[in-house]
Amino acid sequence: MSDVSVKVPARPDVVHVLRSVIASVAARAEFTYDEIDDLRLAVDEACAQLLSLDGGAGLTMIVRDLETGGIEVLISIDAEAAAWPPLGVEHTLGWQVFSALADEARFELVEGHPAVRLTKRRVPAGTI
Amino acid sequence: MGDREERLVDEARSEEQFARLRDDPGARDELVRLHYPLVEYLARRFAGRGEPVEDLVQVASIGLLKAIDRFDPERGVKFSTYATPTIIGEVKRHFRDKGWAMRVPRRLQEIGLHLSRVVAEMYQELGRSPTVLEMAERAGLSEEDVLEGMDAIHAHSIGSLDAPTDDEGQTTASRLGAEDETFELLEGMASLQPHLEKLPERERSILYLRFFRGLTQSQISERLGISQMHVSRILSRTLRTLREAVGASEG
Repeated sequence: MSDVSVKVPARPDVVHVLRSVIASVAARAEFTYDEIDDLRLAVDEACAQLLSLDGGAGLTMIVRDLETGGIEVLISIDAEAAAWPPLGVEHTLGWQVFSALADEARFELVEGHPAVRLTKRRVPAGTI
Repeated sequence: MGDREERLVDEARSEEQFARLRDDPGARDELVRLHYPLVEYLARRFAGRGEPVEDLVQVASIGLLKAIDRFDPERGVKFSTYATPTIIGEVKRHFRDKGWAMRVPRRLQEIGLHLSRVVAEMYQELGRSPTVLEMAERAGLSEEDVLEGMDAIHAHSIGSLDAPTDDEGQTTASRLGAEDETFELLEGMASLQPHLEKLPERERSILYLRFFRGLTQSQISERLGISQMHVSRILSRTLRTLREAVGASEG
């Protein structure tokens, strides 16, 4: 499947749309129920962190299939980049949450906008 | 405002009562009586979502009273037009306050509950969490239905999933004591400690097992004897609570 990209208003009450989209894409990429829930929680956490920034109008999520088996989720907000990445972020619960839910998590700037990039690899069914 | 709502109310009589309202407290009761059919009609639109209709009518009546007190006849809007969103808003808030799934139709709630059992069964059989396709095949549903059912589960509490059985309460209570001792926070996360301490014991343990010990949701579910979907909801709810608590104390 090619990239899926969705943009929603930067408001907490529409984050559920992104959760549903990630669940749907992950389901088709044959992630297990547990992993899909992990991704939903991770997207929730990423959005919460991005929405804590001032001045954003829209949240964009891009989901990409990885050739190595898995998906990459990039969520960004068109807000001020001044406080990004947050200071001491690796000592927060949010970081701990990302570490448990995703294989990789990175705070970065994408075209000058604050973003969270998450990677989750798929463990092929039957190998666990 | 549809024709249907309008037909429920004697508008001429309603206007009369509003004209009397300032001098005659009895007019308020008369207004409540006049608009009761509207209240009932609007409350019934929310029937079948887990709350008794009588309770919904009660809540809707509160909305009506608020609307009566705030209504300004001078503005040229019919009272029933003005009151309808206020009444609906009151009922919706009632559902929100109770954590009930507002927009989740009964069919999806049932699918959600069914899937909850399917997930547990398949985890036992496969030794891992099933994929959505596997769940769909087992449950005789489309993948779309499974996904919608999952959404329904996450749209907040669905009655029996959230209500712990006696059995469940005992097993979790008896197993969790030991976990608590080992909850060590990472360096730099001390500000979280007071908020963690306020969490119910089960919430804290599930948080710890998932995010600090790296157990999967299915493993936690098996260990604590509660459904995987319940674990999932507790995790998202607890994270939300903590975010709000930390945000509030920093802001």
